[in-house]
Amino acid sequence: MARRRLQRPWPQLAAIGLLAVLASPPLRGLLEASMSLHMLLQFPLLVLAGHVLAGGLQPSVAEKLQRWNAHGLTGLLAAALLLSLLMIPRLLDLALVDLRFEVAKWLALLATGAALRLSWNRAGLLGQFFFLGNMLPMTAMAGSLFIDSPLRVCNAYLLDDQIRVGQGLIVACVVVATAWLVMATRVLARQAEPQMPASAAE
Amino acid sequence: MLRTAIACAMLALGAGWGASWLTHGFQVWTAEGARRLEVVQQPIAAPAMAIEGPQVAERDLRQLLAGNGHVTIVDFVYTHCESLCLALGNTFQQMQAALLAEPDDAGVRLLSITFDPRRDTVERLRWYATTLMKADPALWRFVRVPDASDMQRLLDLFQVVVVPDGRGDFQHNGALLVVDAQGRLVRIFDLAEQQMALDYARYLAAQGQL
Repeated sequence: MARRRLQRPWPQLAAIGLLAVLASPPLRGLLEASMSLHMLLQFPLLVLAGHVLAGGLQPSVAEKLQRWNAHGLTGLLAAALLLSLLMIPRLLDLALVDLRFEVAKWLALLATGAALRLSWNRAGLLGQFFFLGNMLPMTAMAGSLFIDSPLRVCNAYLLDDQIRVGQGLIVACVVVATAWLVMATRVLARQAEPQMPASAAE
Repeated sequence: MLRTAIACAMLALGAGWGASWLTHGFQVWTAEGARRLEVVQQPIAAPAMAIEGPQVAERDLRQLLAGNGHVTIVDFVYTHCESLCLALGNTFQQMQAALLAEPDDAGVRLLSITFDPRRDTVERLRWYATTLMKADPALWRFVRVPDASDMQRLLDLFQVVVVPDGRGDFQHNGALLVVDAQGRLVRIFDLAEQQMALDYARYLAAQGQL
């Protein structure tokens, strides 16, 4: 059973502050002026904000949502589909010239973060492995396409910037895969250990 | 579990629809690809706006493109460019040579529009056209759009994206734009497809003469 002690929503306030800063014209302009800042910094920060905001959901609301989210399947599928859509280069160009696509992009990234928050633990190691096993190779593949493409995939961005994004995506995949493997090893090792006397006494 | 299955199915449908819309039915993945496909489906009329150039009598872009019964292959360049525009210039030189080699006038003209009108004055264009490009003024002309807001309107309309690289140069989506005798942008060819662009322009011009 999750602990339900009342907390002040400091993390959520911080996330809203982060969103306000990110949405402010000077910073938005700066982050979207380069493809690498756009994809490697703004994208993850928005996912993070969505992740934190979802933590502030009323438990009753979260419970209702989870009825549609057995084993975190819906959430992980949503995250996977949204991230795949956001990987289509045309969307990046459209978001720069059309405010509607920019808003949609922001909502999609926030929703991705929220979906991950609500589904990650419920999915268990197996679900997480399946999710990462699909997403990481796809992302790394997109990264290598960005590096190898002689053409710019985004009209708004420079070619060397695109190569940097490709390298960044591959590095990010390696980092995420390593972090998850370490985490998974720890969890499995803990499960394999004999019960601790303290928990046995409970 | 049933609810989850329903939610997953809806998500998959929604994402499939979104991806299909974004990629024009999985045909294009980039904005450049979409631009080229959209032009084929829906030609774009060249706008009326003031232009000027060396040995160019016309004072208006629409008049230049639609007023003479010629099909025009257009590119967007700037004369300080040391990479893509030189490749474009080279392509245009080859197309000019091919047009000059024909016994009859094929009804195809070439037009280079600068997107750097601040540095590319009429004088600079004249030097670039005659000295560097060896352009035949009857076939291949160079113009600038003096008014900055007109310039941006033209770039937006033809979806030419110009990105300053911070060192005084630009990166831009260089391509061969075929404008028919009615002054409508009807096809966009890749730089590598110069023969196809030329053949297509010839074909359009021949159709117009029937």
